[in-house]
Amino acid sequence: MLRLLSKIITTGKRTEKCPQIPTYIEEIGENLKHAIHTLYGGRTLRIRHVDAGSTNGEEYELTALGNAFYDIERFGISFVASPRHADVLTVSGPVTRNMEHALKTAYEMTPGPKIVVALGDGACTGGIWKDSYAVVGAVENVIPVDARIPGDPPTPEDVLRGLLSIVTATRK
Amino acid sequence: MSSFTIDCLFAIAFVLPLVGVVLSLATRRFSWNNTLVQSMFILSGFAGLIAGSYFFALLGIGNSASFNGTFFGLVNIALNSMQVFFLMLVYGGVLLTSLYAIQSLPPYKDVYVLPTLNVASAFFIVGMQATILSPSLFTFLMAWEIMSVSAYFLVIADRSDESLRAGWLYFVMTHIGFACIAAGLLLLAGGNLFASWHDVALSALGATPLAISIAFVLLLAGFGSKAGLVPLHQWLPYAHPQAPSGSSALLSGVMLKVALFGFIQGVALFPFVPSFSAFLVISIGLLSAFFGALRAAVENDAKRVLAWSSIENMGLIFSAVGIYLLVHGSQDSAVSAIAPSIALFIILHTANHFIFKTGLFMAVGAVASKTHTRNLDELGGLAQRWPIFAGIFLALSLAAAALPPFGTFFGEWTYFQTLASGMTVSAFFGGSFALILALLALVGGLALFAYVRMFSAIFLGRARTTHAEQVSPMPILLWLPSLFSVLLSIIAGLFLFPILSAPNTFMEGVTLFGDVAILGGVSMNAWWVLLSVIFIGVLLTVCRRSFSNRNPARITDTWDCGQPITPRMQYTATGFSAPIRFFFKSILMSEKELIIEPISMSNPWIVRRRLVWSIKSFFEYWLYRPIGIAVFAVSRAVKRLQNGVIQLYLLLVICALVFTLATTL
Amino acid sequence: MTYLLITFQALVVLLSAPLVVGMVRTLKARFQNRQGPSIFLPYVSMLSLLRKEMTITKHSSWVFRMVPFVVLGSAFFLALVVPSLFFGIVPSSLDNIFLFGAVVALGSVFLVLGGMDTGSTFGNMGSSREMTLATLVEPALYVSLATLALATGAWGMGGIVGHFTSLPWLVAVPPAIVTLIGLLFVLLAENARYPVDNPATHLELTMVHEAMILEYSGTYLAMLEYASAIKLTALLAVCMGILIPFGISAPPVTFFGLGIALIAFFGKLALGAFAIAFIESVIVKMRFYRMQEYMMLAFFIALLGLAVELIVLYH
Repeated sequence: MLRLLSKIITTGKRTEKCPQIPTYIEEIGENLKHAIHTLYGGRTLRIRHVDAGSTNGEEYELTALGNAFYDIERFGISFVASPRHADVLTVSGPVTRNMEHALKTAYEMTPGPKIVVALGDGACTGGIWKDSYAVVGAVENVIPVDARIPGDPPTPEDVLRGLLSIVTATRK
Repeated sequence: MSSFTIDCLFAIAFVLPLVGVVLSLATRRFSWNNTLVQSMFILSGFAGLIAGSYFFALLGIGNSASFNGTFFGLVNIALNSMQVFFLMLVYGGVLLTSLYAIQSLPPYKDVYVLPTLNVASAFFIVGMQATILSPSLFTFLMAWEIMSVSAYFLVIADRSDESLRAGWLYFVMTHIGFACIAAGLLLLAGGNLFASWHDVALSALGATPLAISIAFVLLLAGFGSKAGLVPLHQWLPYAHPQAPSGSSALLSGVMLKVALFGFIQGVALFPFVPSFSAFLVISIGLLSAFFGALRAAVENDAKRVLAWSSIENMGLIFSAVGIYLLVHGSQDSAVSAIAPSIALFIILHTANHFIFKTGLFMAVGAVASKTHTRNLDELGGLAQRWPIFAGIFLALSLAAAALPPFGTFFGEWTYFQTLASGMTVSAFFGGSFALILALLALVGGLALFAYVRMFSAIFLGRARTTHAEQVSPMPILLWLPSLFSVLLSIIAGLFLFPILSAPNTFMEGVTLFGDVAILGGVSMNAWWVLLSVIFIGVLLTVCRRSFSNRNPARITDTWDCGQPITPRMQYTATGFSAPIRFFFKSILMSEKELIIEPISMSNPWIVRRRLVWSIKSFFEYWLYRPIGIAVFAVSRAVKRLQNGVIQLYLLLVICALVFTLATTL
Repeated sequence: MTYLLITFQALVVLLSAPLVVGMVRTLKARFQNRQGPSIFLPYVSMLSLLRKEMTITKHSSWVFRMVPFVVLGSAFFLALVVPSLFFGIVPSSLDNIFLFGAVVALGSVFLVLGGMDTGSTFGNMGSSREMTLATLVEPALYVSLATLALATGAWGMGGIVGHFTSLPWLVAVPPAIVTLIGLLFVLLAENARYPVDNPATHLELTMVHEAMILEYSGTYLAMLEYASAIKLTALLAVCMGILIPFGISAPPVTFFGLGIALIAFFGKLALGAFAIAFIESVIVKMRFYRMQEYMMLAFFIALLGLAVELIVLYH
């Protein structure tokens, strides 16, 4: 225990500075604006992640967001265990036919105002699986999407920037 | 004038059930027969309750209050306030259960023979009254026997195999108990069967300490077997649930109290109690409380849960009786000061247990009559179909789990607080009361578990079977008596609690809304608790209205992670109690067994696997089974004598004669 | 005047409750070498939940909707009677130790009912576990409370804490240390913290408290989260109030005394939050089926505390 504590003390804070927020997400819709406005300017966001058939690349990157380096919690963003607790649904993967129903119910159960973010190329466009018989395609074919974070997979920094820009862009 | 009124009312209450019997037999062809008989019972209960209230209003509460009923010069009965208190429990039980029986029995007219059942009920009611009223040893034993035998007919009312077996077990146990009681009382009375209670007490003064000790153990065994004390409880969880629900309510809610009454009355006859008695009663009481609560938490039959819970509650009461015996009459005034507070708990809990157990048995009976099952694993989701009834059941469950603001909480508070305050008396009381307190807390926790589990398995979530899904609306008389029980339970906290805490000064001194102070000057006021409940409720509702989103909630499916869920995926009552079964594995003797049966003879790999779990009864396994084995072994040995040779029999007869002559001369 | 003080004291506990949760969360992040969220985050997230829509499962009944009110109500009651700033102002009927225990149990029971009324296996599982814990924690809780009452000769929460303020620290507190450790075990179990439950888990199979509230959303979720924050604060205030009785006073109250009491109260909460964050950073969660060992340990520590008190009292 003492070794653990001394390690904690000598290591110090390892969290990176806040990344620069790009302005490349232009397509901010009315729904998103309204949602952020209702949620106290997005000072706190609860995310429910839905894996709708991804390669798990996106999930690895999301997991990395919680570590000491990126520390997504400092922005008031946290991951929750149930769609009923969530403000944001992040969806990854080209929606497979098996996950289509699951995604729909998760969307239906999320209380409004809610934001849907398509995470990764698969979710944004269908990616390399586009037009396959096993997938439905991009997330917007199943549920309305408010924002997209492209990349295959997007790096943790991309995701962080994307989420922050969603919040800050509407504040202006 | 006033004594004449009480006379009349008690006489009416006593005679009306018998009138009901005659009417029941005379009008058995008509469809309104049941209603007529039940209204006789209701009138009887009503008359008795009025008589009892009148008695208390006139004479107050306390040992000094007594009343010489002459019953029109026929008999001379001196009633004291304890007798009237227990009589009022009987009348209250009769009133509620008969009201319930008007609509609950007719659907079962193919199962029970209603006129016969009502005759048995009438004798049962009369027997209980007579047991409490009886002025002498002989009448007491007679009345006790009438009560026991008519209860047997209530248990076997549906004539199923299960009932007959339960009834047989009950019949044997109750007569062993009867023998113990008779022997114990006769030992005190010096063999005089026709002695009045006064004579018994007088002759007990001359008894030797050994006889006193034996008599005490006999009385504890006799009344304890009726009250369901471990290890003589074996019949109770089988027998009580088999009776029709209204009768179960009487058996569990009232007859156990009559056993308690008998024990208290019997102990009062002793010139002194043997030194071991208090510890014996306390340990048996605590053992019963713990064991009853533990079994109630894992049982799957709804009525059996209630039966086990009765064992638990009687255990609580008897442990308090034991503490009373320990501290009562002690030379040390600090020790004997504990006694009144303990007595307050005994009376309060007797009343409270009667109230919630009667209500719960009727409520469970109503559920069973509409869903045709008592198995907790086959119910569920009823709160959506019967919202009001679910509320009643929830309130009764909370009352049974001794949570505020119900009367049971204030009763148990008295017990806990007395124990805690008693810890300051000396190091001995500090240590022993702390252990009792800890055990009681565990028992309370287990009881909480049992009732939460029962309520959620019956009412919450989704219906697990079609029985539970397609239920029809509940007729009013199936739930109204239970609603009365809920109200009574609240009233018991608000009024009975302050009234009973100040005996002897009933009409003058007590302020009904005042604090109730017990041992050590610690006080509690049920009105404050109720007021704070109401205050917080209003505050929260106002806050909810003014601060939060007021749009109506959107109704969706249950969140299923994408895989549609069915009612079968819910936790059953069995699954709910799995951790408790695991933690108390060695006491419950719970076992899981994987049964593998081959399906096809040619291929050994094609098998059907079933998982079976079972709970063995601890006492049945370690106490009753060895006794049974021993009895069989002895009988087998004795059977060798029965060889059919006439000379041997003649030899035996001669031996017997010689033996008799040798001992008598 | 007394009622004004009670209201003020309750308001302070109610308003500081989310802060305690925020402090624990931030301090835990610091132990993980992270920057962590703002300590005021729980206020914002609860307020935003109040503005959100509610979605409710169609398989639930009125019990499901009643649960948040009873759970939050029982938490309000705790906030009302806990002697955080003053003692000797709450009516003796209301701050009795056994009523305190029963109200804690009432809150747990209704949370369990909420988990059972969804038709979801997660909720059921959480309920079954929570009910088991609530059952097994009772002996330790009652013995601890009774020990404190025995040591102080007072039967209300206020009286107990008041007794500790009136004596020198070295006389009053050391005998009660063992009992306080027992009470800490109870606190961790009642508030779903390590090693009984993981408050930050997202894996349903390891959940206890979180699993029961998975089906709640919007206002009801805010009420339940607020209730658990209040419960943590109230129990922490009791433990810290006994350990460091400084600052708690009986009426009449001066403005200076009030200021001292407030500063001391927040200081104690910060210390308590630090202790919880520390515990959660250096130990691991126990397997649920080993909870009997934890509960037995809690019970025996409580009994040991009682034995110490008895020895102090009678020798």
